[in-house]
Amino acid sequence: MRPLDPRLIARIGPARRYVIVTAALGLATAVAIGLQAFVIARVIGPVLAPAPLTEDGLGWLGSLVPVAARDLSVAIAWLAVIVGARVAITWLQERLAHRAGVDVVAELRGRVVEHAARLGPRWAASGDGAKVTTTATRGLDGLLPYFVRYLPQLLLACTVTPLMLTVVLGLDWISAAIIAATVPLVPLFMVLIGLLTRERSARHLDAMERLAARTLDLIAGLPTLRALGRHVGPARRVRELGDAQRRATMGSLRIAFLSGMVLELLTTLAVALVAVTLGFRLLYGEVSVETALAVLVLAPEVYLPVRNVGTHFHASADGLAAADAAFAVLETEPVVVGGSADAPDLAGASLEVDGIAVATPDGMRNAPADLTFEARPGTITALVGPNGDGKSTALLVLMGLMAADSGRVRARLADGGVAALDDVDSLGWSRQFAWVPQRPDLGVAGRTLSLGQRERVALTRALESDRPVLVLDEPTAHLDHAARAEIVAAARAAAQAGRTVIVATHEPELVEAADAVVTVAAPREVAP
Amino acid sequence: MTGATAATRGALRRALRHADVSRGRAAVAVWWGTAAIGSAVGLAAVAAWLIARAAGMPSPADLAIAAVVVRFFGIGRGLFRYLERLSSHDIALRGVVTLRVRVYERLAAGHPSRVLTLSRGQVLARLGADIDAVGDAVVRGLLPCAVAVTVSGIAIAISAALVPAAGAALAACLLVAGLGAAALTLRSARAAAGMGVEADARIAERALAAIESAPEHRVWGTQDGSLAGLAEAEVEGRAAHEAAARPAALASAVQTLAAGAALIASIAIAVTQANAGLIGPTTAAVVALLPLAAFEAVGAIPAAVMQLARSSAAAARIDELAPTKATGTPEAATASAPTQARPVTLEARDLSAAWPAMTPTTPVSFTVAPGEVVAVVGASGIGKTTLLATLAGVLAPHAGEALLDGRPASVEDLGPSVAVTSEDAHLFGTSVIENLRVARGDVDEDEAARALAAVGLSSWLDALPDGLDTLVGSGGGTVSGGERRRLLLARASLAPQPVQLIDEPGEHLDAAGREALRAVLDGMRQRGRSVVIVTHDLSLLDAADRTVSLDA
Repeated sequence: MRPLDPRLIARIGPARRYVIVTAALGLATAVAIGLQAFVIARVIGPVLAPAPLTEDGLGWLGSLVPVAARDLSVAIAWLAVIVGARVAITWLQERLAHRAGVDVVAELRGRVVEHAARLGPRWAASGDGAKVTTTATRGLDGLLPYFVRYLPQLLLACTVTPLMLTVVLGLDWISAAIIAATVPLVPLFMVLIGLLTRERSARHLDAMERLAARTLDLIAGLPTLRALGRHVGPARRVRELGDAQRRATMGSLRIAFLSGMVLELLTTLAVALVAVTLGFRLLYGEVSVETALAVLVLAPEVYLPVRNVGTHFHASADGLAAADAAFAVLETEPVVVGGSADAPDLAGASLEVDGIAVATPDGMRNAPADLTFEARPGTITALVGPNGDGKSTALLVLMGLMAADSGRVRARLADGGVAALDDVDSLGWSRQFAWVPQRPDLGVAGRTLSLGQRERVALTRALESDRPVLVLDEPTAHLDHAARAEIVAAARAAAQAGRTVIVATHEPELVEAADAVVTVAAPREVAP
Repeated sequence: MTGATAATRGALRRALRHADVSRGRAAVAVWWGTAAIGSAVGLAAVAAWLIARAAGMPSPADLAIAAVVVRFFGIGRGLFRYLERLSSHDIALRGVVTLRVRVYERLAAGHPSRVLTLSRGQVLARLGADIDAVGDAVVRGLLPCAVAVTVSGIAIAISAALVPAAGAALAACLLVAGLGAAALTLRSARAAAGMGVEADARIAERALAAIESAPEHRVWGTQDGSLAGLAEAEVEGRAAHEAAARPAALASAVQTLAAGAALIASIAIAVTQANAGLIGPTTAAVVALLPLAAFEAVGAIPAAVMQLARSSAAAARIDELAPTKATGTPEAATASAPTQARPVTLEARDLSAAWPAMTPTTPVSFTVAPGEVVAVVGASGIGKTTLLATLAGVLAPHAGEALLDGRPASVEDLGPSVAVTSEDAHLFGTSVIENLRVARGDVDEDEAARALAAVGLSSWLDALPDGLDTLVGSGGGTVSGGERRRLLLARASLAPQPVQLIDEPGEHLDAAGREALRAVLDGMRQRGRSVVIVTHDLSLLDAADRTVSLDA
């Protein structure tokens, strides 16, 4: 698995800046840790040495921290500055991480939402479309821990670990060799264990999810069970399913935690080996006491970022999955409806729908299937038929908002010409429809209104606009008798004023008022 | 704020008690956790001793034991950590299972008015995640805190035993790192829980509206406004995140500062005392270098506090949904399978229904004899479902009486003699036949097929890959809205209770579906059921023997 999605860096500005700054802070941290180790070696060395130290025990790296730091007060001053710098870096890093995380999520969300809106209603109704709202909201929030916890550790692993290793090499090549031999073993063993256990954990994971879903299903159905007086027995079932889930989970954890164990085992054991080796070599005078102390302090620091990367592995998986889902949306090409010619004026035009069919999201049937009708100016055309058979979809196709799988939409214009929707600019076409959808949103204007109020405002907006075609989708669904009569009258008036009126409805009064009634049907079987 | 937090903290404690978390198992997990991080502390201390001793150039044998101990700690850390993770997850999972059962029982035993008014999807889906979050409190919250206390104790004890002043300095710094970070993290968690949750909800709402209503915005040219709405919500969200991030960053800084201060103090004390000849070089090295390893355990505290805050909020939500003190009577808990098969006459006398603080419904009087269907009609929101709850005995009448065979309807009647089919009844993620058996456990295959035929699902059933054993509902094959309604009607038709109350049966039904509804009602008539349907759909009235209107 990639630790860092290159698309994040390439395309999202705040992510790029953050990675650069965090890498710089990582280097600063590495320098501070190295200096701290040297100062500790300088100040404790004389205490341990049997005779006063005369040489610089740190070799050429010793020039970084002067021998004067063997004096306690000098060392304390050095340490105070280093600690102060580390506190400042920690604080700054954390603040930047939060800000960058929030900025990246906001930018990505904005782009996903904007692009998803362009992908059209057909895509929105498909499985991918249903997932996009989850991606755009809860999913992307998974990026926050990725930026705050995982990414800094990853960058520290890329800066502190090699730098510390180089410093250790400069001090004592044998210790560096022990560490260098184990560091690559860490990812190697983790990958090996991952490969060996992948199938088993996938199976366990599957069982776990199934069991959890069934338990939740029982709890979710409790109101129904209670209403039928059948609510007592299932408690035992909840227990059984839960116990089975626990056993399955523990089975998978026993394997999953193995990689963590190997990671800890290798890193800690290497530190122990370095310490023991240093001890014996110190005994024989092969290393200086200052070097031994500095390496002892630095050895765990080499591994710390690597270990932390392992600890925050889940944050990485969730965050990258979220980024992946977001980029999958951004890389989906919108389906283009219409052509390039200027849209004709639909005032006084007859709209002809000729044999259109649209497959349902599950692909099981067409809804509508082979629908043909004509909507004339100055008349009301009512689309009737069972729910789910494609009345709203037919309206979307007619308005140029969705591409049909087959069939076509044309306009017989007032001047006698004929324009096919496939040839003309669909936006110009769409903008001539005064549409009242089933659950209008109204954007900014609708933000404080209830659904009922929004429906009224949307209706007023459509009636008062000068757009030639009035499209009403189930306008009477949530209204009482008096309000329904008002709508019938308004539709009549619009038709009399010469507008083309098309309604999708179940309402007998509205059907009665229509000049033409079209039944939209969707047989269950898709024709071969 | 403080009061509310105290209440939520109480909720977590209660939830953990109900989860029956075993003290013995918890102690074992803390033991392994302490051994794991303690190994790191031990490794640092013994390694420091080893280097210090070696610097004095003794004979190699003097280093032998220390070398073995260092290697032991090197292996121990990984091993003990593995055991700790396994034992803590086991505890948490056991707790989650027990808590699930308890919550289920509490909901089932509670007053039906509570259960029946739960919105099925959202609240209950959240319940599962909330119960898991209580389990997480053990693994990611309480255990790291306990280990931080024990490991810090060990480090302080080592340091204090060698040089009391250094021990005191280490203790003070560990206390600041632990408690200071905990307090700051708590502040961050509260900010996130308050403003953060609100802001996230608004962002989600705006994002959803912008996507779902994209065609509308395209037609009306309003998409810019809808995206601007999202951007506006993002700005608020950023402010909320800032409020939470500021104390969290401070917590990290405080921990780094405390660890640095402990290091400086320990070095100063150790070097000074060694130079004065008060302690030997090995003691000085151990005391001076111990702080480098001692702060790992308290470093886990911010994340642990964050988890405890999340778990507390989850426990409070569980408490709200399924109160610990069950309000239900023991009878309500034991009432289960229908016991009464003989016909019952339902009567409403000047009956008016209302939930607290709701406008009462218009008083109505009617009688439903066995074999009769009465339709209660009225505009949306006038209280039809409330009246149904009163007829079912779930809600006491606001005025008048609801009588079953002349006796006031009570909670105990729901189940034994009264069944309610609500508009959003649940389709379980199991086979078709098991879904029908929810109404009555002994429905056989012939009965099931007949019931499905009566609602016009014969051809649907024939097309199913495994017939009656085909899985439906969540995780099963797709069932359309109309098919779902019909399946629920078939289930209602199999329910043995003499009184059947059906809420909005016509919703989402097309013409053929309405025919199926009529067939089901006819079947109930023949079996002598007393049936009440409530609906705002006037086209269903011919299916009923009588109509009662709630419209004024």
